[in-house]
Amino acid sequence: MSPPLPSCPPGFSRRTLLAASAAGLAVLATGCTSSSADEREKVTSRQADELSAQVAVQEAVVSAFVAAGAADPALAAEVADLAAQADEQLARLRAAAPGSSSSAPPAAGDAPPAPETRAWLRTQVATAAASHAAACVDQSGARAALLGSIAAGLAGQDGRLA
Amino acid sequence: MADDTSDTGALDARTENAALRSALAAEHAAVWGYGVVGAALDASAQGLAAVSETAHRDTRDRVVDLLAERGADPVHTAGGYAVPFPVLSGTDAAALAVVLEDGVAAAWVRVLDQAVERTTRELAVGALTAAEVRAVGWRATAGQTPATRAFPGLPQQ
Repeated sequence: MSPPLPSCPPGFSRRTLLAASAAGLAVLATGCTSSSADEREKVTSRQADELSAQVAVQEAVVSAFVAAGAADPALAAEVADLAAQADEQLARLRAAAPGSSSSAPPAAGDAPPAPETRAWLRTQVATAAASHAAACVDQSGARAALLGSIAAGLAGQDGRLA
Repeated sequence: MADDTSDTGALDARTENAALRSALAAEHAAVWGYGVVGAALDASAQGLAAVSETAHRDTRDRVVDLLAERGADPVHTAGGYAVPFPVLSGTDAAALAVVLEDGVAAAWVRVLDQAVERTTRELAVGALTAAEVRAVGWRATAGQTPATRAFPGLPQQ
């Protein structure tokens, strides 16, 4: 009998990664490192700082969607689902880096009017994707998985905006 | 289903190699699956399937080499795989390509979760990103909306 084409890899339960992610986020939230699962998710101060920096990067993406929408309302309607995904990504990143705080979202800068707005937004998204991907390799465990996934998601958005 | 995490719960070479083996299995499946995808597409879309298959062959070969350098057993391709639904049209083929890329993406997220080597994470995030970029195109071809995903490869919350 032929094996099924994997929707997730052999030996990898989606529940397993979800649990690992939850354990990692719990460690970040509480600082508790007593269990073995928590042990593997210990975060260095440098990693915590870098994760906080990626929160700011994602805040800039969210701001860029707002600015682009104001500059080009037609584009705003077209990319509403992408903007919503950027918001979801920011929420997950903030949850993973509870020490991060931002009293005011970073300004993405003024978006140019149409027809340049789309290219400007695409640059903002691609820049953030590259930043998350670079930061991902210096993290580990659930944090690396989360950053890598968000980087890939934004790269996909970049392609969609092309 | 067993977790690959070591007995101490720590990440180590064993967890990383186990995740790489799973990624290799997903790449094998993708290479095979794109044969089905390409056969169901019209000529105008077969180029994208061919490029996608080549990308997966390249990644597969990199993982095989990496595991060999470490003295770890590779995972061999199966003779065939069960296709999850009938592939009778170009739309079906695109939907199958999405399944293939999503499976690969999940495998590479797993590598990111389990890796200890920075170079392995570089390989993983590159493969994950490439899979999602291809998946976006295939989702659009298959008429799936939205075509993008906020968290490719991660479990849905």
